[in-house]
Parts: sequence; structure tokens; C-alpha cells
Amino acid sequence: MSDLDRAIEQLRACRLIPESQVRELCYKARELLIEEGNVVSVDAPVTICGDIHGQFHDLMELFRVGGDVPDTNYLFMGDFVDRGFYSLESFLLLLCLKVRYPDRITLIRGNHESRQITTVYGFYDECIRKYGSANVWRYCCEVFDYLALGAIVLGASSELEPTSNPALSSMPIDDSELETEVLNSRGEVTMSTYRARQRSSSDASTDSRNISPPRDISAAPGQAAAPLRSGAPGTGASGDGNGSAVTSRTGAVLCVHGGLSPLIDSVDKIRLIDRKQEVPHEGAMCDLLWSDPDEIEGWGLSPRGAGFLFGGDIVKQFNHLNGLSLVARAHQLVMEGYKEMFDGGIVTVWSAPNYCYRCGNVAAILELGEDTSGGGTVARSNGEYGRSNGVVTNNRVVSPGRRYRVFEAAAQDTRGMPAKKPVADYFLT
Amino acid sequence: MANGLVIRVLPTLEPSEPHTFVEPIKKIHESQDVSTFLTSKAYTNIMTWILQLNRSMFPVKLADDTIQTWPLNSDAIQYSAPVRQLQRLLSKLEDIIQEVPPDTGPRRFGNISFRRWCEVVESRASNLLRECLPADLLDKGSSNGGLTAETELKSYFLGSWGSGQRLDYGTGHELSFLAFLGGIWRLNGFPVAGPGVEERAIVVGVFHPYLELVRLLIKTYNLEPAGSHGVWGLDDHSFAPYIFGSAQLSPAITDNDLTPEEGSLENAPDPGGVANANIVQRERRTNLYFSAIGFIYDVKRGPFWEHSRMLFDISGIPAGWGKINKGMIKMYNAEVLSKFPVVQHFPFGSLFSWDRDPNAPLPPSTVHATSGPQARPVAPDSGPPSVAGARPMPGAGTQSVPPIGSTAAPWAGMRREGVPPSMPSGATRAPSALSDTSRMPPGPMAPTRAPWSAQPRPSHSQDGNADVHTKAPWAK
Repeated sequence: MSDLDRAIEQLRACRLIPESQVRELCYKARELLIEEGNVVSVDAPVTICGDIHGQFHDLMELFRVGGDVPDTNYLFMGDFVDRGFYSLESFLLLLCLKVRYPDRITLIRGNHESRQITTVYGFYDECIRKYGSANVWRYCCEVFDYLALGAIVLGASSELEPTSNPALSSMPIDDSELETEVLNSRGEVTMSTYRARQRSSSDASTDSRNISPPRDISAAPGQAAAPLRSGAPGTGASGDGNGSAVTSRTGAVLCVHGGLSPLIDSVDKIRLIDRKQEVPHEGAMCDLLWSDPDEIEGWGLSPRGAGFLFGGDIVKQFNHLNGLSLVARAHQLVMEGYKEMFDGGIVTVWSAPNYCYRCGNVAAILELGEDTSGGGTVARSNGEYGRSNGVVTNNRVVSPGRRYRVFEAAAQDTRGMPAKKPVADYFLT
Repeated sequence: MANGLVIRVLPTLEPSEPHTFVEPIKKIHESQDVSTFLTSKAYTNIMTWILQLNRSMFPVKLADDTIQTWPLNSDAIQYSAPVRQLQRLLSKLEDIIQEVPPDTGPRRFGNISFRRWCEVVESRASNLLRECLPADLLDKGSSNGGLTAETELKSYFLGSWGSGQRLDYGTGHELSFLAFLGGIWRLNGFPVAGPGVEERAIVVGVFHPYLELVRLLIKTYNLEPAGSHGVWGLDDHSFAPYIFGSAQLSPAITDNDLTPEEGSLENAPDPGGVANANIVQRERRTNLYFSAIGFIYDVKRGPFWEHSRMLFDISGIPAGWGKINKGMIKMYNAEVLSKFPVVQHFPFGSLFSWDRDPNAPLPPSTVHATSGPQARPVAPDSGPPSVAGARPMPGAGTQSVPPIGSTAAPWAGMRREGVPPSMPSGATRAPSALSDTSRMPPGPMAPTRAPWSAQPRPSHSQDGNADVHTKAPWAK
């Protein structure tokens, strides 16, 4: 068993590894991350995760629900550290997994992966408390600077393979495909939505089945719980379904921690950023990590004091211009674990259940399946407009099928009470 | 007094002399301003007021050697008319919650209806204050045609309930309410009584109900912590109850005793009881410290030692509640009053004045006043100094950082003759490089806000109008 495997085993047991090993790990991680572009390309299938914030036991629950690395291909959208009690254990484990299985786990940067933020929100304090010096904090911050800013998921299937579920004995309406599915932590389907297969949007029929009504805040009161829609923005979805002139395709999915930036109108512009630095207070890199979608038009000032608010029109245009069907992001607590907005043009995924021990929220991860139909690969978007292998397309994109696995906070009672440690100087003299 | 012990109290205005009131405004715009604040008259008054209230909560050794304690349900504390009026004011504010039920629509965490609650309170503030405080107190200042005392009191009153914009509540709001009470004191709004008599009525009869109202607001509207560090902070929202509550359980004193710095009241619950739910449930009815701990139990799930590590560690202090009380005051001074993100919102008028206190020591360096808007991103390879325990300085790359241990506590060395009892002269220095606790503004589940932002808006906004949306260059 290699040192790395031993470290993984130790961290999985929520035990820290020695400082010297952290240093070595961070060095290896940087060597690996420096080779990644600002926007990492990831092939479906992939499981997309949101904020973790040091909730180690809940991260273990996430792996239980979503499958282990390397069996499952993971994409974590940042905010591994701060606020929770186990930022070190959580981040170091993810980093070990990254070094051990670089092609099976992708880590991108959140706004908390920053020197300034971690000194304010707890990770720095934790490093001092657990290692007795700031060395480990410094090693980790050096890794933060090399984390990618985003990822593009390619080759996701527009249709989900239905999860076998006794409650859904028969297939839904003819000629429709499973678009979204929500599962609880026991793997039981709690909600499914369907969309018409390759039809014009005007007569697209949708069907939503609520097996147990989820607490979905994305839907307005009185409306069916799931966002109903017939296709991605810009999906006119003509085509006769024979495949001869099928121009619709599953658009790429951009994953970023926060959101969009008024300085970034194409995915390529993200690639031009010099990312290997502390997160700036303003500018494109800052916005990608700090911005939030909001029910506004255009851009708005963010109450966070960094990044912007952006409306549905901004998302539609960005997706359209970049051949994207979906932006997946994290950064905001959502009580139901995920929240789709703007006709499904953007989704927030949140993976820290009962955030800060008190929010009472559930967490979610988003699974995108692989398109095995074979035909879709040609039309895969690489995030650039109007260029897919030289074939001019009319840029019709279909959103990928989306399977959300929702889970709750890990059981608490198994954790023992530690010894009280010497407290701050205030109480010592 | 015997032994020459002078208990300093917050000075009141001379009723017969004219006084010029001013509209309280913010003066702390960047982190350097915090050091100016720490030498201001306002700071001296705030610390004096808190120490005055704190001392009043220590049990008292009576002439017959019996000990009088001050539990929250004490019959021994008489409420004066102003205290009762303030209780009525608080219950009217509570009634407004009924008028503004929490919004049931889609939400993230903080409930948008709290904004409406704040608006209602603001619209009724003048009337509420008039119903509660005598007209000659509120109208003081009108004789010379200027602003009245009401202007200043209202500013602190309205700052006491959390932020309607950010849907959060923290120690800065708690400070504002203490200033509101201190302002009434300065205006002679409380009757003259023996040492500590009116003060403990204020703590038990007004401040505790205030905390209860705030807890109700936090639960009703899901207010986010405005000043916490998650598991590494003292408490998501409050600080003062840990000061006054530890005083309640400290050794008894006479009027001539210095405030104890260690030991506990006989039969006081062990500090370790905070980790025991049953003890917390029992003690929270009578004690402010346990009452605050009890609220944590109400809202948090998970092991206490994990979600409240600082409080858990403090509960292991062997030297008793007196020691905890002393530490809490030092910590409050460093982690609340010396923190830019907390005190930046404090407005200064005439009751709490920005003017320099002539008795204050030279401005100390601003080591505690970090994360101001001047802070710039640090270069990738620069980080906090490697000195163990030293605080990292956001922006360390652009400012010279004096050694933390060298900073004298702002209140050290002043008031030679009236040394606040709990502050042994010379022995009080700013905590050196604690392994770090509280600190900043946006707390746990609050959406993370940029610590370099003085105002909750992007620094790159082209104008100050939050309603104007910047258009993307390519947006139609």
C-alpha cells in the first residue's frame, strides 16, 4: 500500500496526516493542477457537487450516496473549507483523491479557497488549532491558487436511464424522455419530470410525477414542484426525429463556483485569465467565484460586496452564445439542496446538509449521464460558438438529463467528546 | 468610599446645562479608523458602561455575611419606572412580529419579511420612544433650537435589531442596544440609586428581555449571524450575555471589593455544564450565560464541542467564573470593539462622541482592526507571518504589521484613580495572538460577504445606487 493510499485511509477515518505529508501532498497537487486549464474539460458521466465547508461526516455521506472515488467521476465546485469543524480533513482527503485518481475527480476553486477569506471564516483558525502553526494553512493556500476556475462537462445524455422504482411501474407517455429525477438518500425516486422527445416545443408535452412531494422551493407555490420545461433555452427543436437533419444536441454544461461576469461573454475569455493568484477583489476571476443569479434583468450589485447579481436574460444569452445548455454552480445555500432557475438555464447545487449545524437544509449532488447514442458526439459543444467540427449547426441545444440525489446530515451520535484544549489567551492570564 | 475604591460610572449630562445634540453618523470608514475609535470618548463611555453593568451583576456579600445573588427571576431586583417602560417598548416590538409573519414563499435562509418588520419599527420609532421615555428627556436640546436627544437615541435604537438589508444580526447590533441604554443613562433617564441597583435592573429587566426578543427575531425570520466564524467563533450572534452571565456566577463582593478575577460563587454550576443539555435547561432560566448557551441548543444540531468549540474549551477553565468573566471582557474588547467589520456601523453623536478622550493613551496600532476596505489581495506567496499563533493580516503584503503582543489594550493605563475594578492596572494588555476566534462580520450560513467591503456592495460599482444595474457590454 502506497503512502498516498495510507493517507487516504487515514483521512477517511477523519484522522489528520502529518505536516510533512501535507507539504508533500500539496506539492504534488500543484504539479498536477498547474497542467490543468482554467476551464477543465470533463466527460460525462459525472457527479457534480457544491459547497462542502468542512462538513467531513457529510462528505462521507455524499460518497455513500453518490458512490466512491474512483468508481464515480466527481466534480466539486469549490468551497471545501471554512465554517465547518473539519475543513482540513475534508480538503486534504479530496486533494489526496485528486492526486491518486486525477482523471476521476475534478476540483475547481470557490471563493473560500482564498487567503483572505479563510482568515475570516475559520480555516486559518482550524489550521492553527490542529497543527499548531500556519504552515499547513500556507501549503493549502498555495494549492488554492492553482485550482481551475471552471469546468465544461461534455457528452452528457439528454435522457436519463430511469431508476427502477416500483412506484413508477409503467413508462410515461409515449415518445417522451426522462429529463429530471430526484432521489432520496435511500435511492428511492421522489420525483420525475419528462419531456417530449425531439418534438417542436409548441406541442411538447411534459409530465411531472410527484411520488412524494419534495420540498422544492424552485417552484412557485401552487405550481407543480419541478420546473416544467420543454427544452433548453433556444431549443426550437424542429427535426423530424429520423436523425437525418437532427440539429438538436445536448449542450455542454459550464460548472463554476459562483456565476457569470459582465467581463466574460464567452467561455474562451475564462481561459485567458491568469488564475494563479489570490482571488482578486474585482474583475472576471472574482466574479466567477462570487456572483449569484437573481430574479432581476441584466446585472445588479451584489449584497456580498464582491461579484454581481445576474438575471435570467444574462444566463440565456450566455448559454446561447456558448452553446451551453446549463450552468451549474454552487455558492448559495438552498434548502432543498438544488435549485433550477431561469427555465433550467442555471442550477445551484448545495452539498452541505444542515449547514452550520442549524440551517435544517438537505444537500444534493447532480448526476449527468453519458450519452451513449453515438450520434451526439459530433455535435458536442466545446463551449465555443458555431464551431463543432466545422459543421455549421443552428445551435439548438437540449439540456442534459439531470438526476439529483438528495441527502441529509450524517448521524451525529457516534462522535466522541474530545478533551478541552487550552483556550485563547484572554482566559489564561 | 472606603479603601478609596472608585467605581467609575458613565457620566450623565448636567440637566441644567444646555447641550448640543448632533445627528449620529458613521466615522469608521476604514480599518485605520478603529484605532482612532479606541481613543475616542465614545469608546471610553462604552467600556465604562459595560463594566458598570458587569459589576452590578456580581453577587453581593451583605453585612450579615449572607450572599445576595441576581438570578434572572430574582425578587430582589426592583424595576424602576423607566425599566418598566422599556419592557413595554420591547413587548410592543414583539407584537409587531405578529403583524409581519414570516414570508412563506421561496427563500434561501433569511426571511424577507424581516425587512418589513424593520420598516414598521422605523416608521413607528418616534412614537414608540415617546410612549416609553419622558418628553423632557427626548426633547432635550430643543431649547436652543438644535437637534434633540431623540435624534441620537433613535439612531442607536434602530441599530439594535439586525440588518433588514442583509437579514442578519450580530454583536454590532447588540452594541447598539447597549449604547441606546447608555444614552438614556447619560440623559438621566434612570433614577439615581445605590451602586449597581439600577444597573442590574437594566441588565435583568431590559437587556435580558431584549436578548429574548432578538432570539425570537432570529428564529422567526431565520436571521443569519452577522459576526461569527462558524465553529471557531464564540457565538453566532451574541456576546454580552456571556459577560453578564459569568458575572452572575462569580464570587460575591462588597461595594469595597475589586471585581474578582477568579473563583466562583459557592454552589454555582460548573462551567463544564454547558456541554450537558440537562444542566443547560436548568440554568438557562436564571443565568444569562446559560440562557445564551440554551439558545444554541435550541437552534443547532450536533455535538456541542464541535459546533461551539470556543465555548466548549472555555468550559474547561479551572479558575472559575471570575476568570471566565475577566476573559470575556478582554475578548469583547478585542473581538467586538476592536474589529472593523463590527464597529464600522456604529454612529457617533454627542452622547457617544468621536472626539478624542484626552485621557486616552496614544492611538495604538490597528492590529485588531483588520479586514478593512483598504485591505488588498495579498501576493500569492505572501501570507501571514509564520510566527505561531500570530494573526494573519489580510493585506499583509501592503502594510507593516506591528507585533501583536505589543499592543496595549486601549483601556489599559487609563483611569488611574478610578480603575475599573475588573481591570487590574497594568495587568491588562491586549490579548496576544489568541489562537483566534470571533472576528468578522458575515457568519455561518450568511452568504459570504467580502470582508474588504465596507458597504455591502461591490467596490467596482460605478455609482452608489444599488438600483442601477450595470449592463453587460453584450447585453441588449
